[in-house]
Amino acid sequence: MTAPLVRALQVARSYGEIEALAPTDLELVGGEIVALVGPNGAGKSTLLAIAAGALEPTQGTVETEARVGWVPQRPAHYGRLSARENLELFARLEGDRDPAGSAAKLLERFALPAERRPSAELSVGNRQRLNVALSLLGDPRVLLLDEPTASLDPGQRRRVWDVVNELRDEGGAICFATQNVEEVGEHADRVLVLQNGNVVFAGPSSGYAAVAEDVFG
Amino acid sequence: MRAASIVLRKDLRVLWRSPLLLGALLAYPIVIALLVGLIAGYASSKPRVAFVDEAHLPPVVAVAGHRFHIQTVIDDVAGQVTLVRLSPKEAARELANGKVVATITVPPGFLGNLQTMASSPSLVLRTGSGGLAPRVTQQMQSLVYQLNQKLQAGYIAANLQFVRLILHGGSGKFLGRHFTLLGLDGTQQELAKLPPSKRVAVIEHFVQVARVGLAQTGLALRATANPITLSQPKRHGRTWVLSAQVQAYGIAVTVTFLALLLAAGAAAAEKDEGTIGRLRRGLVSFGQLVWAKSALAAVVGLALGAAIAIVFGVVVEIGGVTGGEPWARLPLLFLGVALVGGVVGAVGVLLGALAREARTASLLAVLVVLPVVFLGIVPRGAVAAAYWISLFLPFAHAVRWFGAALYDTDPWRTIAVETLWLVGIGLAFGLLARQAMRRLAA
Repeated sequence: MTAPLVRALQVARSYGEIEALAPTDLELVGGEIVALVGPNGAGKSTLLAIAAGALEPTQGTVETEARVGWVPQRPAHYGRLSARENLELFARLEGDRDPAGSAAKLLERFALPAERRPSAELSVGNRQRLNVALSLLGDPRVLLLDEPTASLDPGQRRRVWDVVNELRDEGGAICFATQNVEEVGEHADRVLVLQNGNVVFAGPSSGYAAVAEDVFG
Repeated sequence: MRAASIVLRKDLRVLWRSPLLLGALLAYPIVIALLVGLIAGYASSKPRVAFVDEAHLPPVVAVAGHRFHIQTVIDDVAGQVTLVRLSPKEAARELANGKVVATITVPPGFLGNLQTMASSPSLVLRTGSGGLAPRVTQQMQSLVYQLNQKLQAGYIAANLQFVRLILHGGSGKFLGRHFTLLGLDGTQQELAKLPPSKRVAVIEHFVQVARVGLAQTGLALRATANPITLSQPKRHGRTWVLSAQVQAYGIAVTVTFLALLLAAGAAAAEKDEGTIGRLRRGLVSFGQLVWAKSALAAVVGLALGAAIAIVFGVVVEIGGVTGGEPWARLPLLFLGVALVGGVVGAVGVLLGALAREARTASLLAVLVVLPVVFLGIVPRGAVAAAYWISLFLPFAHAVRWFGAALYDTDPWRTIAVETLWLVGIGLAFGLLARQAMRRLAA
């Protein structure tokens, strides 16, 4: 069996008395795409942020064997900087030897505007694509995406899935959170269904349809 | 520190691209410093004192043969207060409602007592209960002292007229009666006409001794009237506005305001932009973030502090102020400004992390910076608690650092002590800020 690239063991997160995520396990192995599904407030974003190292769990541990890229639900970049400057900045922080070159490649790959326009003035779709592009800096083998296509048009969605599938084909691991049932069927190998911070289903995507109605009502 | 310097450069670039914010950040502290200066200037301006003339003083008063123009006397002696002529009723009302801080009354019979010197005439001082009362009392005591000095000069001059009559002879008037005196000069001349004898020689000796003795009367009278005088050479020093203290306070106020607001806003902005999650994923540690934001406050604070010091120096040089600007000390001052900017920046990062949102952080910083500054301004003797609290905040140390760097002959001891304080305060707030950043990222 392939060793997992990311292993989250009994990770949980509480905010005071409120338990956002009950103790949960998540393993991601190379060559698979895992979907996190659940209604709003189910704990999907929390689990992804913990696995990405962006949020400290109140209990449990996360072990990573590869570089991890993270696409937060809300675009996370500096609005006063252009798309290129954001990419170059985070490339430098990633320790990239050629931040300008890496930024140029991602600008082209995601068809992002190359001019000096502040990223805050970009369209919602462009900002989301920049958000995804930032996660690819440092050539990650694991990609954690939190509703990456929520504000994208069909063409842009396809572009994102092309990137995801390419990484999977290269042996990378992908985990994405979504509320789009079609995307689960089309792209996920495995599904984790969360409800009120608890995993209520974990299995192949083919078995997801049976629980989907219960979860979303 | 590489990551911290990358974040610092990003923050400087972001700031540069926000001209409105940058302008407000630079202008706001300067405006506040000017306002503090105006308030301080007002505190040292002349208080308003009512002058109640119940004696109905004539415009010109003759005392001991000298004529005093009352208004001129008031103008001369009231350099520290503004005397306003009011009726007794008006004066009482204005004292009660605080429009004047004191009333000084010339009671009926004052002039008669003054002219006859039958008894010492009194002026009556009533003060309000405000904080200026002790100061006004001192100023009125000074006013009476100066009046007495002027009168003493008049009395001495009148007495010397009589002494001159005794010495040289002539006509005079005393208690309304005219008289003529032979004087010692005339006596000596009359004695010279007499045939020499032992008795004439004794009288001649007395006349000589008396003449020498009386010739010294003027000096003796003045010395008795004023055993100690205070001489005040003409001032050539700096005006209040250009004083070393104002320069030190001005730079400290502006840098404190700027550094606190900037660091608080910059820290909270990482949450607003959603980037703190990205950064904390092994790219930038919380400690490095605190360093980066503190360094941002230090760099921008240094730019503003240096600009103020240079403008101040140019004004001092153009004005030809004695002592000039200590240009050679400016590098030392800049070092202090950067240190203070960084330390205040650490306090700002703590506020920003606690506020969790840039707008709230800015408001919180404004609310916090005023007490931080004013606690440092309160004199130790006024409120001891304020002094002790200010010891654990950077502002008072900043003022002492800047003052020593600019104007102390031997500043090193003060600078060493204040640097230790500032580094300690910076580390304490930096550690707290690092913890708070953890909360900000949650």
